[in-house]
Amino acid sequence: MIQSCSKPTVAHYSVRAERLGALGENARLPRSVQAIYLRPLRRKAEYGLPVCDLQLRSYSVDNVEFFADFAIRAAYYLNLPVSGPVPLPRLVQRWTVLRSNFVHKKSKENFERITLRRLIQIKDGNPQVVQTWLAFLRKHAFYGVGMKANVWEHESLGTVYPSLEIAWITQLLTTGDMTDVGKAMDESLPEIEQSLRPYLAQFGQRENKSAENAKFDILETGRFAERNNQ
Amino acid sequence: MAQSRILDLVKSQCRIFSLNFNPQRLRLGNKILRQRLRGPALSAWYPRKTVSFRDLQNTYKPLGLTTFDEYEDDREEAIQVSLRGKGRPKKKRSAAGNVILNNPPYRYIHMQPTTN
Amino acid sequence: MVKMAGMFRPRRLDLSGFINTRVIRDHNKRMAIEQTEPERQALRYMIRNTSLPQRVRAQAQLQLSQMHPYTRPTQVKNRCVASGHGRSIVRAFRLNRFQFRMQAIAGELPGVQKASW
Repeated sequence: MIQSCSKPTVAHYSVRAERLGALGENARLPRSVQAIYLRPLRRKAEYGLPVCDLQLRSYSVDNVEFFADFAIRAAYYLNLPVSGPVPLPRLVQRWTVLRSNFVHKKSKENFERITLRRLIQIKDGNPQVVQTWLAFLRKHAFYGVGMKANVWEHESLGTVYPSLEIAWITQLLTTGDMTDVGKAMDESLPEIEQSLRPYLAQFGQRENKSAENAKFDILETGRFAERNNQ
Repeated sequence: MAQSRILDLVKSQCRIFSLNFNPQRLRLGNKILRQRLRGPALSAWYPRKTVSFRDLQNTYKPLGLTTFDEYEDDREEAIQVSLRGKGRPKKKRSAAGNVILNNPPYRYIHMQPTTN
Repeated sequence: MVKMAGMFRPRRLDLSGFINTRVIRDHNKRMAIEQTEPERQALRYMIRNTSLPQRVRAQAQLQLSQMHPYTRPTQVKNRCVASGHGRSIVRAFRLNRFQFRMQAIAGELPGVQKASW
């Protein structure tokens, strides 16, 4: 399953490999650390069905290259087959403004902003794993790099309506009635809300002030008091 | 293929993708319904007020913490200065009750008595 | 119907940054538009829908024309967020050309550089 990148050796990877060789003379580094010096490993896609398109945008090459590399490595450890990073066309925005705040129409100045983009595509991964990957990238978001993800979820008709699958498909084909899909989604809504409740309960401020008083108690007691005395 | 068959096809297509089936091309104003609402985007133009110093004061005063607002302090000091008679002189009132402004505001024409 | 612009003025000013009368007025208009947009769109739909009775459509026209001018989306003007200026605004930054230039040179706008080609 594991397959290293088939692209021609990039100059800086060879430099890194040399450095790795120099490091490894005395003692071998752990494999996971060694891997950082080498080209990112990749999983092989079995079906090649695109599941998620992640677009990285930045104004500087270094940032976006670094983060694309990071994202690919993260995908490898999550067992996600990945293709990319594909360098998409740069977006160049230009503005011409008058230099002065008043009159002097002939004296102008040009400004530009170049947005660099990289596309990373995840192929046939489990939707939950893809969400985990995206959450991981968001947690370790790199400065000056924006992310935009398009996620596609593929669902079999059987999961929506396990028992009535065949009957439902025939109904769809004969009458073109898709109301059941919406109905199933409506039915699943309270379930989702129920599952979200413990997480949402953690947000916001509490009305009762007992927790705030507890803060001061904690500050006055135990290790904190010791630290103050030192 | 018969015209009616194609119409049937389009009809079921519209039903599946919840579109309006309108073979007579009547003007039903549906393009208005298709437009997205622009209000939220329009009202987000100017930056909104978030947290002011007064909010912080209101939060921390009840906890017994002291706060110091330098701007407010400067303002109060300026008031004290004017109370002690060190500030700008007050506007003089003439006999007719007209206000003569010591500090001519914008668009005020200051007339000086001509001395020959 | 008395058309007072004051009815759209909020009790407490909720703007930060550069503020002057024109900015406040424009902001009030934007708020009014946001509030009344569904109503306006409903009326506009009724006016355009030829399947409705003529009388209903005419009433909708009348009602739409009698709404306050501040609720009209054409009334908004994009003004500079940093100076309140109403002309030559760079939309991407909501800044006037001069403010844009100063901030760009100061490096406050990410990614914006002086260009030459």
